[in-house]
Amino acid sequence: MDRLIEILEEIEDGVDYKNCKTLIDDHYLDSLSIISLVAELEDEFDITIPTVEIIPENFNSVESMWKLITRLQEEG
Amino acid sequence: MSYSDATYLVLFLPLTILIYNLMPQKHRWKVLLIASYIFFWCISKKLIIFIIFSTFSIHHFGLWLKSIQEERNKLLKEAEKESKKAIRAEYLKKQRKVLLLGVLIHLGILLVLKYSGFALENLNALFAMIKIPISFSITKYMMPIGISFYTLQAISYITDVYHEKIQADRNLGRLALFMTFFPQIMEGPICRYSDTAMQLWEGKKVTYQNLKSGLLRIGYGIIKKIVIADRLNIFVQTIFEKYSEFDGGIVAIGVILYTVQLYMDFSGVMDIVIGSGEIFGIKMPENFRQPFFSKTISEFWTRWHITLGAFFRDYVFYPLSLSEPLKKLTTKARKKLGKHYGPLISSSIALFCVWFCNGLWHGAAWSFIFFGMYHFVLILTGNIIEPLVNIVNEKLHIKKENWIYKTLQIIRTTILVFIGELFFEAKTVKDGFAMLNRIFTQFSFNGISTGAILDKNGMDLKDFIIVGIGIIFVYIISILKEKNVDIKKWVFGQKIVIRWLIYYAIIFVVIILGAYGMNYIPVDPMYAGF
Repeated sequence: MDRLIEILEEIEDGVDYKNCKTLIDDHYLDSLSIISLVAELEDEFDITIPTVEIIPENFNSVESMWKLITRLQEEG
Repeated sequence: MSYSDATYLVLFLPLTILIYNLMPQKHRWKVLLIASYIFFWCISKKLIIFIIFSTFSIHHFGLWLKSIQEERNKLLKEAEKESKKAIRAEYLKKQRKVLLLGVLIHLGILLVLKYSGFALENLNALFAMIKIPISFSITKYMMPIGISFYTLQAISYITDVYHEKIQADRNLGRLALFMTFFPQIMEGPICRYSDTAMQLWEGKKVTYQNLKSGLLRIGYGIIKKIVIADRLNIFVQTIFEKYSEFDGGIVAIGVILYTVQLYMDFSGVMDIVIGSGEIFGIKMPENFRQPFFSKTISEFWTRWHITLGAFFRDYVFYPLSLSEPLKKLTTKARKKLGKHYGPLISSSIALFCVWFCNGLWHGAAWSFIFFGMYHFVLILTGNIIEPLVNIVNEKLHIKKENWIYKTLQIIRTTILVFIGELFFEAKTVKDGFAMLNRIFTQFSFNGISTGAILDKNGMDLKDFIIVGIGIIFVYIISILKEKNVDIKKWVFGQKIVIRWLIYYAIIFVVIILGAYGMNYIPVDPMYAGF
């Protein structure tokens, strides 16, 4: 999870990623950040994130992103 | 029949509600389906065949995809861990072919019916220009009303099944109802299967709570549509048709009032549509969220025709910007251009496609393509200069939360929206520029002082006063909504006398101030034409 926060900070710094639960709803991450983030996550964690998974519920908090990553890793 | 017609409001809708409620729960969906087909027959006659075809088609493609997924799952169950990835990849390829075929069929029908004439016209003109002796004969096709809306629903259904976001539906009746539900078939909102299909199927009883809540919303929508939008129609049409006869200031008023008309018409019909659904206990997605409080053009499009924007975001923007080639481009560009401009290149390519499609979706004409490109350029410019604006703001100690700054942003965005709508409604792009030129070079309000504006265009002082009061009324409601005030809860919380006074006020405002009868031409819902 620490690596995920590092990636997020590289993409958009100055956000309290540990506590924020509304990263998408409150526009901390916009579509440009999401495009970078998806590319980085896919490389780092060896997963493919289908576009259908790009929904606020999966990206609103670090926890939900981590859940998505582990789920996609398990699915192989 | 349209949603603001007396036929719909006092006959079709009440009759459907009555029969629906009399039926046992398990048969209620059938009432909605039959009512939907009757409604569609009334507006499109024999062209109903197109929506029937689309329904059968998505039913078939859904099940086809499902069978591939089931076969894959069976193999995955028995497979070793190492071979699972290869199985997934192989079956993804199979699914992709089916998806492509399904999307192409639906898009193909829309392209032929809606765009072939425009494309051939332009090809003929091009061939004539470069002196190639080829000329295509142009066939004008009849198009079923609502095709632009239900086609997108069909595409979203097949795509969602492909992504396994939803399960393919074996029940043809449920799918048919999802495609044709009568309140949304003319103008949307563009619903996803996961939004409405199960709700429609459920057949909830019409409760007093849902009935009064739905009717209040319908009442508000009728005021917007009949009292404000329809009243502006003749004035706006006159200005757009004969703009060369008016001073720039009056052309500007015409453009502003056209935007008002479009908003009141479309969002008013959406209130009627969503209110109608609410009566049956169906919650449809919202299509408007106080768009004129937007601080940027991007934000405006998350508040205006929301379901269309969401469709293009989910089915065009992300799939394109996250496609393999663009993803690679993003990763490379980020290393060279940094975290802002790196992803901007691939997102701009996707954004261009989104706005090209968005413009074209509204109609087969260059003015619509221009409308799309206008928004593309504005959003792209906003993205490019964003870091610069941030630096300037920091240097000048301007805080984004400052209300003056926010107000100036809202005013700027609103002016940009007015200009966009000018080109949207102008007969041609050339006319659009001529109108814009008139506004900036011959700006005066001479027509107002001489009274000519009132004579020429079929609106008298009384009409302007009613429209003015109407706009203030809707503006106040919008402010309250923006502040998250639950207006319905407030109305229903009032004592019975006040509550009924409000209901009667709505009815009398519509009857007395509605723009119908001898002096007005009935105006079809503006978005039904798209």
